[in-house]
Amino acid sequence: MEFLLGYVLIPTVKIVALVLILSGVVAYLTLLERKLIAYIQVRLGPMRVGPHGLLQPIADGLKFILKEDIIPRRADALLFTIAPAISLVPAFVVFAVVPFGPPDMFRGTIETVLGWFFDAATVQAVADNTVATGGFIADFNIGLLFVLAVSSVGILGIILGGWASNSKYPLLGALRSAAQMVSYEVALGFAVIGVLLVSGSLSLVQIVQQQEAAGVWYVFVQPVAFVLFFICGLAETNRLPFDLPEAETELVGGFHTEYSGFRFSLYFIAEYANMITVSALAVTLFWGGWLRPFPNVEWLWFLDLVPALGWFVLKVFLFLYLFIWIRGTLPRFRFDQLMRYGWKVFLPVAMANVIVTAAVLLVV
Amino acid sequence: MRFLERIFFVDIIKGLLLTLKYTYSKTYTEQYPTEKCKVAERYRGAPRLNNDPETGETLCIACDLCAQICPEDLIVVGSQRDPESRKKVLTTYTFDTSRCLFCGLCQEVCPTNAIELTQDFELATYERKSMLWDRERLEKGWDRIEGKNYR
Repeated sequence: MEFLLGYVLIPTVKIVALVLILSGVVAYLTLLERKLIAYIQVRLGPMRVGPHGLLQPIADGLKFILKEDIIPRRADALLFTIAPAISLVPAFVVFAVVPFGPPDMFRGTIETVLGWFFDAATVQAVADNTVATGGFIADFNIGLLFVLAVSSVGILGIILGGWASNSKYPLLGALRSAAQMVSYEVALGFAVIGVLLVSGSLSLVQIVQQQEAAGVWYVFVQPVAFVLFFICGLAETNRLPFDLPEAETELVGGFHTEYSGFRFSLYFIAEYANMITVSALAVTLFWGGWLRPFPNVEWLWFLDLVPALGWFVLKVFLFLYLFIWIRGTLPRFRFDQLMRYGWKVFLPVAMANVIVTAAVLLVV
Repeated sequence: MRFLERIFFVDIIKGLLLTLKYTYSKTYTEQYPTEKCKVAERYRGAPRLNNDPETGETLCIACDLCAQICPEDLIVVGSQRDPESRKKVLTTYTFDTSRCLFCGLCQEVCPTNAIELTQDFELATYERKSMLWDRERLEKGWDRIEGKNYR
């Protein structure tokens, strides 16, 4: 009974809730983006569907579902149909290891709710199990590797989609995407290694706990790594100024030119889910995850009135805001600029950061 | 110095602050059908044939000056001489908005301020013949006859 509850039932509930919440956040992220970009451009953005356009994501979703699902005649039908799913699934799967609360986050809730149905021993056994009570789906000891591995799979969806479309623009978009991801994933990996050296753990939960123990967020320990991580994260999620794979003005939409209807929306959801993932990772690795500001300063106790999840969501939201803000500010890079920055600036800096961090840790 | 500026993203931060300033500045968008645009004070739009506000009788004395000055010859004034008072009385008045160039000469020349170009700019119609405005439409205005509804 404890096993069924602690390892099957409660995690399933958490997974379903997370997927649903994430989908909702993705939907409203599109609205936030449209509104924010509109305000930056001194416009109003969507105003018609619901008050201040608040129901716009629902209208958009309906439109996507009702639109015709076109598969080009000479396209590779199998790859063409599964490519968006390949892009979407990893975007959600990555969230399995991202902690949005401490390991005993749901302990109180679980004890109360299970107390109504089960005897004390069962409740205690489940409540001691962090898989059930933790503010995360799973806490791997290789969490960060898992994130890097799975997020790389998502890029395959873009490449396959561009390839299977059997069309020039998507192919060019896919090629660009492949080159860009290869270049920036390396720098991203090196940026993350800086954090690993400091924390000594690959588990995202433990990384946050280390930050709590150290009393300082890693962004103050590894500022260079953070900037690199964020820039490479922009590139990994195909966001401006690195959105060359889908550059509307040059490539007519890039890899998703031939996609329509629901399949297009899958790509769209994947992009926004990736945005959330990168934001959540940046928060977890560098900005103390669910920790409040100054986690060890006693007289700031009133900050604890906001629950851990609140701080996490707030930080992630600030990052999403930054993503959109940057989109509204910077123009797109040229492809040679993108490559030059990736290989000649970010990669050497990231490697230097790793070496310096290692040297400092060795001495201290 | 330039090198340091590039390392600390000074230019990008400047740009971000600029967009932040615009994010929270007032928007220029006008919600057009629900909220009318503001036109200039001396804007010349849809014509109107004014009535005397007290008696409700038309101000037009059928002098035909507007029809004569109109560069497009689009105004046709129909009149009849009243056998008792020996005055000219307006019978019909047509104004072809499809040909009008909104020069405003008709309202300049009108001795009684009967014809006036108002600030209403919504002149689109579904067929060409309704661009020919008769006396009733000129007096009552466009929307009171057709009943405008946008959504």
